Amino acid sequence: MPFKAGVFRSFLIPFMLAFLLQACASESYIVLLENPDGHTGAVTVSGEKGKQLIKKAGDGALLDGSQAPAPVAADKIREDFGEAMAARPKVPKRFILYFQIDTTLTAESEGQLPTIIAEAASRPAVDISVVGHTDTMGKADENAALALVRATLVANLLKEKGLKYHNMTVESHGERNLLILTPNEVYEPKNRRVEVSVR
Amino acid sequence: MFKCVVLSGYLLSSVLWAADAPIGWVKNVTGDASVSSHGVLVRAESGTAVWQGSVLRTGAKSSMGITFKDETIMSFGPNTQMSVDEYLYAPAQGQLSLVGKLAKGTMNYVSGIIAKLQPDAVAVNTPVGMIGVRGTQFVVKVEE
Repeated sequence: MPFKAGVFRSFLIPFMLAFLLQACASESYIVLLENPDGHTGAVTVSGEKGKQLIKKAGDGALLDGSQAPAPVAADKIREDFGEAMAARPKVPKRFILYFQIDTTLTAESEGQLPTIIAEAASRPAVDISVVGHTDTMGKADENAALALVRATLVANLLKEKGLKYHNMTVESHGERNLLILTPNEVYEPKNRRVEVSVR
Repeated sequence: MFKCVVLSGYLLSSVLWAADAPIGWVKNVTGDASVSSHGVLVRAESGTAVWQGSVLRTGAKSSMGITFKDETIMSFGPNTQMSVDEYLYAPAQGQLSLVGKLAKGTMNYVSGIIAKLQPDAVAVNTPVGMIGVRGTQFVVKVEE
């Protein structure tokens, strides 16, 4: 009996895989991949024929939702998606610079500025956002102004040190976008920061 | 008088235009690709701006890569058409949304901060089904 079940399974699984891959060859489909950072998330497909959740890298499914996710051969991914994958721009990089109590960067963060400038130089049409933040000490509107002073200061320092860019935005999130969640009126050095996204 | 009215209309429209900032930039192109925004078609090259509502196209033997403000990445293989129908990225105001439509072709997608902060805010529609994105990378092909 176990022998019989084994034969049945070993026959059925390749048959099902072959069916999916063949169907994919002439249809619209999706394949989940590992993220550049090594994590794997998930995608759902909702079509006329059903809904599927894909959460394993390398698994694919038809976009009409008709079949359960199944592995897609690496060769097939390369053949169908090689050009799209080769055109993928460099993954953006984010730097977090911290402040002493006021508008003076910590020494360590000041030392990161040349790294940011070098990172920007390595990218085509680089666009940069500089976003200032505060902790929750003090009034919200004063923090909004302080965060903008911090962001402007970092943007100016980067430019003085030779940053070249295609586009740059300088913004303030004040105390509305905390890195470390705290109640109001809490002194938190990790929230006193400027985030620089280099894309 | 007439000149004055025309001029103030022009100034008003440029103010509105400025409020509507680019949401991303083309980073690389091989072959023929275009970006249509506000009814104007531009041949895409490194540095071309992408706006909410832009339609992105690639021709035969062509490809294009785009990076958005929230660090989402989309790159396209040949004969592809994708529109970015909705794009909201204001994390401090809690306004996050990315809705696109892949009409045909191939795309490699890497999710950015919008998907990280609010996973149900990201959707890619296709003629056969809708893709919901839970912070990840995927490739997708739509055959006409």
